[in-house]
Amino acid sequence: MKNTLKVQRAIKDLTQDDLAKEIGVSRQTINSIEKGRYVPSTVLALKLSAVFEISVNEFFELESDD
Amino acid sequence: MSRETICEKERTKIEKLNKFQFPFKFKKIGYYITFITFGLMIAKKFVEEPDWVKPVLSGILLLGMLLISMSRDKIEDEYIDSLRSQSYRFSFVIVVLYALIQPLINFGVGILFDETEKLQGFDYFQVLFFMLVVQLMAFYQLKRVSKLG
Repeated sequence: MKNTLKVQRAIKDLTQDDLAKEIGVSRQTINSIEKGRYVPSTVLALKLSAVFEISVNEFFELESDD
Repeated sequence: MSRETICEKERTKIEKLNKFQFPFKFKKIGYYITFITFGLMIAKKFVEEPDWVKPVLSGILLLGMLLISMSRDKIEDEYIDSLRSQSYRFSFVIVVLYALIQPLINFGVGILFDETEKLQGFDYFQVLFFMLVVQLMAFYQLKRVSKLG
């Protein structure tokens, strides 16, 4: 699954640490989501969606092998 | 009480038990217990001690390691939880393989030097100690790798 978290974060001028604190996870978690190593739960995806005020569908995109 | 209510209660109980973790400060206590007990186990090799000392120290060592394993991280979130689950799965598979293969290797090596060698198993301490060591190492390795980016 692809995601645009890094881009959205840059638009909002947030560091990984800022975002991690805002949604109550570790910086490592944000880094792993951005690198595509971890697919977050629906709860976390909705929290991200609330921070960036865009829908989950705009964040995440299925790839051909998903 | 209806069947659904009983099932629901049962499920909640299992979920609670499954998610149980000690607070972060218990990790430090676990480390103290583990290292002190490990030191005592090495020290006891050089002194005469009663029979009950070894099983007691073994038990305390396993408890210390279990405390480390079951304590929360400083920031415990779903990602850390998934890494922890991966480490438990990994250690389970490795220990089952170890328990199956190691006696055969011991037997094979033993028979080269002594024809009366018998196939031997493990005691519970060896298996549990190895399982906890593998789990803790796998968990830290997974966290380290994910930090490297």
